[in-house]
Amino acid sequence: MATLALAGCGLGAGSTPTHVSLLVSQGFGAQTVVSAGAPKIVGADTVMRMLERNAKVGTLDSGGFVQSINGLAGGGGNDWFYYVNGVQAPKGAAETKLHDGDHVWWDRHDWSATLSIPAVVGSFPEPFVDGFAGRRYPLRIECTQTGSKSCAAVEQVFAGYNLVASLGCVLCSQYNLSLRVLVGPYSTLTADPAADQLTRGPGASGVYARFTRNGATLELLDQSGRVVRSAGAGAGLVAATRFMGQPPVWLVTGTDAAGVAAAVQAFNADTLDGHFALAAIAGAAIPLPDQEP
Amino acid sequence: MNYLRRASPLHATRAGVGAAYCAAMVLAALVIPNPLVLGVLALALLAAGAGARAGGRVARSLYLSVPMAVLIVLVNALVSREGLTVIARLGDAGPLGQLDITLEAVAYGAREALVLIVIIAACALASAAVDPDELLRSLRRVSFRSALTATIATRMVPLLALDARRIGEAQRCRPNPGGRLAVMRAITANALDRSLDVAATLEVRGYGSARRPARAHRPWSRHDLAFAGSALAIAVLALALRTPFSFYPSIHGSFGVRTWVLAAALAFAALAPFTQRRGIMR
Repeated sequence: MATLALAGCGLGAGSTPTHVSLLVSQGFGAQTVVSAGAPKIVGADTVMRMLERNAKVGTLDSGGFVQSINGLAGGGGNDWFYYVNGVQAPKGAAETKLHDGDHVWWDRHDWSATLSIPAVVGSFPEPFVDGFAGRRYPLRIECTQTGSKSCAAVEQVFAGYNLVASLGCVLCSQYNLSLRVLVGPYSTLTADPAADQLTRGPGASGVYARFTRNGATLELLDQSGRVVRSAGAGAGLVAATRFMGQPPVWLVTGTDAAGVAAAVQAFNADTLDGHFALAAIAGAAIPLPDQEP
Repeated sequence: MNYLRRASPLHATRAGVGAAYCAAMVLAALVIPNPLVLGVLALALLAAGAGARAGGRVARSLYLSVPMAVLIVLVNALVSREGLTVIARLGDAGPLGQLDITLEAVAYGAREALVLIVIIAACALASAAVDPDELLRSLRRVSFRSALTATIATRMVPLLALDARRIGEAQRCRPNPGGRLAVMRAITANALDRSLDVAATLEVRGYGSARRPARAHRPWSRHDLAFAGSALAIAVLALALRTPFSFYPSIHGSFGVRTWVLAAALAFAALAPFTQRRGIMR
């Protein structure tokens, strides 16, 4: 009986997770459909069940696949995807249990450039505060120059959430089960295989921006993966990706030191909120994917 | 092939109309989502079976349909991820994720099970009270060869069952009785022999060159009219008065006056022809 109870079995609805929030949007977070800081949850709901309690949901496959939310139907290269604490869930919403502090984000978007966007920044300070899939992870900030202002500023941001991070240089740790934040000019981060994905576009990284091989130019892409604009010196990027199933790796980077500083400026919950990734160019924060001017 | 002519209004009606009456019941079960109306329809079918003096046959169909119905409820409860009212949590089932049993999934499974029970009961009623030979005879004008083939095939079924029983009994008298496979082999060989004989007989008698038979005029009896009207009324009521009833994400539906009126009207339409008892033996 005790084993069954520990495995989450039992009669009735079960215990309700706390501090859960729900965001439903479309167009990579461009338009909010539902936003609930305290959505209705009854017992040990799954992600799907919580969505059904808080929006009008059409499903397929015996309730395993979301077809429409509040009348916005998927199809034609535009479908519903969901992220829990900024991490694309590996299982269907009907199989994913909610945990305390989960920020669930459903977004209907064009997947012509990539089907998989493994991590997004718009749920910040998640996944650093509550982790993901019901598990918290240690935080490690890896900076090109550990004593730099940018590195210290990023550490300060986390300190604001009472998060203690271990500081180190890029690829100095063999432990790959931490949430890592890489800080520094992109050209100095490419030795990291997760960061290196950013030269290969959204198909590899899930980020609608890419650096040129030498890291001197940042190309912003639209939802189809086409280059909308390019920026040279002073361009910054805040993005998240994953490599080989490891925990998400966040990048606070830029084409140069000024670009990194611009990215650090954008590295806060207010600016990142509801965006998949963010470019910082000439003092402006540009949500990614970029729009045609 | 369990048809036995009995003294009942349904047996007295022409086969086409009797089949249409049972088909209307099936149609009603398929289009009506409300479990209350379906329950009344199932009860009406049992009563119709009793009215047709085939109550035992219809009731015995429950031996087949109820276990299947229970299976449907169980499978739907385990497989469906829909529904908001969790009644039991079965924990994390690995790649299947969180398994929760919801009230809505159980209710939807029960509704589907009820549909199955009604369909099987309607088929049992048709099998017991609709003359299959007459039904196939009425199809001769549509497709003579198909009707003939169907007639012969259906005639073969009880014959093969009889063969199986006879061979099985003979086999049990031997010192080393073989398994069921041996019986199956003997029956299959018998069936092939018989089919060759039948084909040869039909050819010799010139069935291949038969023409479309002339229409046989048979005046409509009061029972024909009553059951035809009943079938039409059941179909129209089911299609026109059905009320919406949804199970997911939560159960929403009416058990109000309109639902009760529909249930009562369907029961009346289904049972009214059985009140006419005159001329039930031809």
